Amino acid sequence: MSVTEQGLLERDKDTMTLNMGPQHPSTHGVFRVILEMDGEVVKTAEPEIGYLHTGIEKTCENKRYVHVIPMTDRLDYLNPPGNNLAFCLSTEKLLDIEIPERAQALRVIMCELSRIASHLVWLGTHALDIGAMTVFLYCWREREMILDLNEEISGVRMMTSYIRVGGVAKDATRPWLDGIRDFIDYFPAKVDEYEKLLTRNPIWLDRTEGIGAFTREEAINWSLSGPALRASGVNWDIRKSQPYSGYDNYSFDIPTQSNGDIYDRYRVRVEEMRQSRIIIKQAMEKLPIGDYKTPDNKVSLPPRETLHTSMEALIHHFKLVSEGISVPKGETYVPIEGARGEVGFYIVSDGTNVPYRVKLRAPSFLAIPGMCKIMEGCYIADVVGIIGSIDIVMGEVDR
Amino acid sequence: MTSEEIVEKVKASLPDAIQDTALPQGDAVIFVAPDCLQKVAAFLKDDPSLKFDYLSDVCGVDYLNEEREPRFEAVYLLYSIDHQHSIRVRVGIEEENPSVPTVSEIWKGALYPEQELFDMFGIHIEGHPKNERLIMPKEWTGHPLRKDYPLTTETVTFSHNRDFKSDLVKSKPPTR
Repeated sequence: MSVTEQGLLERDKDTMTLNMGPQHPSTHGVFRVILEMDGEVVKTAEPEIGYLHTGIEKTCENKRYVHVIPMTDRLDYLNPPGNNLAFCLSTEKLLDIEIPERAQALRVIMCELSRIASHLVWLGTHALDIGAMTVFLYCWREREMILDLNEEISGVRMMTSYIRVGGVAKDATRPWLDGIRDFIDYFPAKVDEYEKLLTRNPIWLDRTEGIGAFTREEAINWSLSGPALRASGVNWDIRKSQPYSGYDNYSFDIPTQSNGDIYDRYRVRVEEMRQSRIIIKQAMEKLPIGDYKTPDNKVSLPPRETLHTSMEALIHHFKLVSEGISVPKGETYVPIEGARGEVGFYIVSDGTNVPYRVKLRAPSFLAIPGMCKIMEGCYIADVVGIIGSIDIVMGEVDR
Repeated sequence: MTSEEIVEKVKASLPDAIQDTALPQGDAVIFVAPDCLQKVAAFLKDDPSLKFDYLSDVCGVDYLNEEREPRFEAVYLLYSIDHQHSIRVRVGIEEENPSVPTVSEIWKGALYPEQELFDMFGIHIEGHPKNERLIMPKEWTGHPLRKDYPLTTETVTFSHNRDFKSDLVKSKPPTR
């Protein structure tokens, strides 16, 4: 690789070294890739990451469990409920507590809504990278509805921090439930509309079919996950293989494709949006009545009105607010299926109210070496398509 | 296979290489010494009834405050796509010249998390094609996720401390 020690780029005799990023719009964040070009063909692609490193894992080691949740929002900022849920599930496994069914259903609704929102951002920007402007605007229109729903339930449009250890932050409100009902009636026609624009569009097919293809074995060996893995014909979804939050009570399909190219990854994600809507619909139909957080007052705050009458509630309230949750000693890892693949927190607890070690399993981070390997031999114009189709979010890559 | 069966099977097949086993909250966990790691990893991947073909992540932990030996630990999270079961391989690493062999020849997905392990904990990865920093700048000193690496703050100038000048501003060459 012809990069000098000062980080400058040098020209070799036969090939040209081309610097893409870190401020390139199609790298979806500050991702730099150094391409060695032979004419228009990429010979080697060298990824360079770390521009967005904020030391979140180190910061988490110095914050209480409750304070970590807003930090997890900012990792994969397109799918915050997924990160919240992954962190809460690991903590709850160490605490060994049961979550009420209503809270589980609310978590599922929130996660699936954010999966749709995340896929909409992906579809819009990916299509824009390849040159389809209209889809971008349509996707943003539908995403706006989901952000409005987020605002209604949590007060925040993106970094919701809605899922908490022991349950969720707040019970479902009527406008929120009505909004979701409207959305699930409205959304299927819109997915058909995106497909009408792209799926059989000859320009789209030319740019995506057969490009950046992973075989089944390559996809597994390079630790791809989520839609990128399923596009290569691997029927692997954590929601089915290791069900959490009651996903085993819903009936839905895992869309898979066989070629593993950009087009198949597109097909998988579009179908996933439909499946997510089906899950939300089922969760709405049988939304159980009950608590929205665990009644265990060592983990969740007691109801406000009991503070005036119950000494115990007052003590619990004081201890929880001043000290936070104490998690028993141990280490654990619970994976979930986020929008980009397997998300999970490996948590080591030393028995105090501050986690000893928090490690995020970030799907985008693991996908980068494989993604750059598959660029070799492609045309430079396809590099943009490949980066877009893997759907990386730099927030969780650099952490 | 259930977690108990996995642990029993691995223990029975490689009695010398497995230091210990555990089943915390029902997960299969095995403890392996660094010099046996490649042998255990190859077995876990190739054995037809285990077939751990998917490496999910490699996590580093620094147990400095816990006063236990060895100080560092690398945790390999593995799955089998076909059999839908999982295992955690915990490898204790000494404080003196910490190093662990690479498993990136067995699972290519290990390349990045192993490089991160070097960057964040200073654990040398034997046989890794790139033993260099990944996330931190190339000229950085220290390994940030070690427990003895201090978490510092940088004072920023606001109106209440407007006379404060950071080192960055002080060392800036005067502009004409």
